[in-house]
Amino acid sequence: MSNVNISKLKGIVGDAYVIDSPSEMAKYLKGQGKPAVVVLPASTSEVSSIVKLANEKNVKLGVGGAVVDTQGITGGIAMVMSRMNRLLEMDQLNLVAVVEPGLLHKEFLLKVAEFGLNFPPEPYEIETSSVGGCFAIGDSDSKSFEYGPTRTFLLGFEMVLPTGEILEIGNKCIKNVSGLDFIHFAVGSQGTFGIFTKLLVKLLPAPAAKKAVIGTFASMHKANAAFNTLIKRNVHPTRMNLINASLAKNAKPGTEGQLVIVDLQGFKESGKNIANEVASVLTLGGGSDVKIIEEGAEYDQVINGWLKVRAELNAKRSRTVEFVVGPMKMPQALAQLEALTGDLGAYPGVIVEGLLGYVCLALPEGTDKLDLATKVNKLAMSLGGNVKGLLGHKLKADVYNDAEMWKQTTSLLNELRQQFDPKGILNPGVSLEA
Amino acid sequence: MLSQAVVKRLKEIVGEKNVVTDKVGLLTYGYDGTLLSGEALGVVSPTTTEQVVEIVKLMNEHDIKLVPRGAGTNESGGTIPSEKSVVISFTKMTKIHEIDTENFVAVVEPGVINFDLQVELAKKNFYFPPDPSSFKASTIGGNLGECSGGPKCFKYGVTRDYMLGLEVVLPNGKVIQTGGRNFQSEPGYDLTRIIVGSEGILGLVTKVFVRILPIPRAKKTMLALYDKVEDASQTVADIVAAGIIPTTLELMDNLLINTTEDFTHAGLPRDAGAVLIIEVDGYQEDMDEQVKTIGEIASKIAKEFKVAQSAAEVDQIWTSRRSAFGSVARVRPSYGVNDITVPRSNFPKAIGGVLKVAKDFGVTIGVVAHAGDGNLHPLILFDQRNKEETETVHAAEQALCMMALDLDGTISGEHGIGLVKKKYLDKEFTPAAMEAFRKIKRSFDPSNRFNPGKIIDL
Ligand SMILES: Cc1cc2nc3c(=O)[nH]c(=O)nc-3n(C[C@H](O)[C@H](O)[C@H](O)COP(=O)(O)OP(=O)(O)OC[C@H]3O[C@@H](n4cnc5c(N)ncnc54)[C@H](O)[C@@H]3O)c2cc1C
Ligand SMILES: Cc1cc2nc3c(=O)[nH]c(=O)nc-3n(C[C@H](O)[C@H](O)[C@H](O)COP(=O)(O)OP(=O)(O)OC[C@H]3O[C@@H](n4cnc5c(N)ncnc54)[C@H](O)[C@@H]3O)c2cc1C
Repeated sequence: MSNVNISKLKGIVGDAYVIDSPSEMAKYLKGQGKPAVVVLPASTSEVSSIVKLANEKNVKLGVGGAVVDTQGITGGIAMVMSRMNRLLEMDQLNLVAVVEPGLLHKEFLLKVAEFGLNFPPEPYEIETSSVGGCFAIGDSDSKSFEYGPTRTFLLGFEMVLPTGEILEIGNKCIKNVSGLDFIHFAVGSQGTFGIFTKLLVKLLPAPAAKKAVIGTFASMHKANAAFNTLIKRNVHPTRMNLINASLAKNAKPGTEGQLVIVDLQGFKESGKNIANEVASVLTLGGGSDVKIIEEGAEYDQVINGWLKVRAELNAKRSRTVEFVVGPMKMPQALAQLEALTGDLGAYPGVIVEGLLGYVCLALPEGTDKLDLATKVNKLAMSLGGNVKGLLGHKLKADVYNDAEMWKQTTSLLNELRQQFDPKGILNPGVSLEA
Repeated sequence: MLSQAVVKRLKEIVGEKNVVTDKVGLLTYGYDGTLLSGEALGVVSPTTTEQVVEIVKLMNEHDIKLVPRGAGTNESGGTIPSEKSVVISFTKMTKIHEIDTENFVAVVEPGVINFDLQVELAKKNFYFPPDPSSFKASTIGGNLGECSGGPKCFKYGVTRDYMLGLEVVLPNGKVIQTGGRNFQSEPGYDLTRIIVGSEGILGLVTKVFVRILPIPRAKKTMLALYDKVEDASQTVADIVAAGIIPTTLELMDNLLINTTEDFTHAGLPRDAGAVLIIEVDGYQEDMDEQVKTIGEIASKIAKEFKVAQSAAEVDQIWTSRRSAFGSVARVRPSYGVNDITVPRSNFPKAIGGVLKVAKDFGVTIGVVAHAGDGNLHPLILFDQRNKEETETVHAAEQALCMMALDLDGTISGEHGIGLVKKKYLDKEFTPAAMEAFRKIKRSFDPSNRFNPGKIIDL
């Protein structure tokens, strides 16, 4: 039996926003867990009251932007943030926006563009991501070389802690070192420190011009060699990405071979020259159908193609391996990788973010993910990188043969989590163990 | 006093010459960039991570606290030995392990001086964007301890944005690695970010993976002179509104123009109310358009606007700015550096606020500011030997902090909290936020062994 007090929840958010019939709940949930109820709060104080209620009854609570991952919250509460979706303030003088966490990332982008501004962070799930989820995951993306990773764009927030207490931190100053930096530490904490209820977001002026250069290559290796040439020439586009032949068609229908997408955001004058330089380097490097794209709709189509492929890979995350190497080490990395995977062009999926040295592999049926990740990590480490994130950290410690370091890291992570959430109520499905 | 046994053991760990226990030797380590002082039980300068680990273990056995220290130039009292403690100085860990320009990473020890790294990088046409004005003396470890800023933050961000990974010795003597050589190496929580700016209270950093960038192809430096400080801040607002992100928007008021002139003879007109140093960088072909737009904006109000024509002219401008803090020492024996920041739109009000504090308390205040960031350094000139005057100055400093908070700002933009501003911290943060800081400190350092008394008390 669940300890969830449905009538109290209804008292907090109103009858219409407490859903406990399994058929109606389904659209708000993913995964195998069976929470007792879905609740959709509309304000910070409602979020706080719900969390306090969960505390009293020791009920687990999971949070999501539009859909909640149900792992670990069977019998508990699934909290959906989608009603808290207002843009509270757009401050053009300070280049800051104040938003609620449930606002969809893509809708936020439209509003930001209306004001002639730019919000660079780009979550994998570009269609469904909320702004709150975007900061809770807090990743980098293929534009991060130029703009920095997601955290760069958070100046402060309001958060409901696992105890129900409300914490506010930060201000509109772009420089602020007061206290400990809980502001940026909270980015990427996946809702384990608390629930964002308001975000103070840094914005930039929109770039004066956007262009793209695309081309196709018969081999991944040639494309990467061309990327290296650009880096050596001191050309650093906004993105410099590569999609292998099996996926290229999804990004741009009709593509034969591996697709290169170079994005140039910046000034008008240099944009023209750099586009020409990039186009020549791609052509000389063996690219065909190299094309400079200036027209807005076509530019958007190309970039959206990239984002679509990105999202498709994310949808199969349990079947992907992500790793990073030094950007200039990419040709070596791919050559060594092929010894493990066979021809990368024919692999189910490979994408490369050339400026960041990032690779995401979609694994063929039957591949043992952990086994491959372990091998890939060794390879990546020899080239100045590692498998991404928590898993990568563990594999790195394995390579150092340093079980103690890994134990120490995990115990620190768990201690931090426990300090914030002593009862282990919030997002118990999020694992810090790898 | 340290016992003979402890001293002996320390010397075994780091070698005879890397342990200081004599009175005179200790004195130097009792000071930093502030007017505070304290006395350490001893000073130990390790040269390797293993030595740091041994020192931490030894100190734990004897229940002695450790105060990490780089060059000691901080403006927050962050390296003042405030409890029974030994100073652990990183100035002998100065190896640059690796500069990998192809992959945009350098790996350094914490005692490397920012300037020394810049010199090595410049040979390869690269640089490390964080460059506090103290960069000729301050260390990378100290820069990260304070999350230092500098003149380039408006475009390039602060130290935090260039830290990819760290090797850290924890208060229990265990070593961990946070992050790595790229943006995607953090283990679950972004541990690098919480160490950056933690002023040595969470862990001792023994290795730093920094992000480095190629020197921009082109750069233009401009100078605008104004009758009034308020006019300069209007130019700042207008440049931002025009969608331009300069690397630098540095401001000095009339007092600073005069003190730096005494010092550098750069030729700034002594009657100007304010000078604004503006720099843009990027591709050569974009320079003209930006300089033109900025020139048009500035010339609306400035009494003079000029573009530096040679590297020598650029150097001269920067020499003035970089000597700002030191130059005021000629006017009065002591000066207090403040570090308030307000949202850019409140910058003119903050300038007004500084003038009001100067008037209300009858003190002399000069202003240098990273105006694009809304970060002001009001310098209060006085004589520390005069007790009464010193007390007035402290009251004025408090008033400046409160003024910044009233304008939705912060009491520290880049210098940190340390001891100096600890007493105002709960004016900026709610009890829940203060408690969050304690939770973090407790997770890393439950027995309060590293840099006790700085930022918060447990
Ligand atoms: C296991 C996993 C890992 C992922 N890793 C990445 C990645 O590395 N990079 C990437 O771009 N995308 C990643 N994604 C996809 C990611 O979910 C989306 O890109 C998106 O940004 C998340 O936004 P959302 O609104 O869909 O969040 P959700 O999917 O609803 O939530 C994502 C995480 O954020 C938390 N969260 C959501 N809203 C809040 C809030 N208001 N306050 C506090 N916490 C909140 C959730 O509890 C959950 O832990 C990952 C998805 C999963 C399931
Ligand atoms: C003339 C002058 C100009 C300045 N200009 C600027 C400026 O433009 N911008 C700016 O931001 N600051 C400026 N400062 C302040 C100061 O220089 C910076 O804070 C600098 O980064 C401190 O470096 P340091 O090596 O002197 O560190 P220290 O003062 O020795 O230490 C700073 C903090 O870091 C901790 N620490 C040091 N090393 C380690 C380590 N290895 N592990 C853990 N913790 C450690 C210390 O405990 C202390 O809390 C200026 C100071 C002066 C005197």
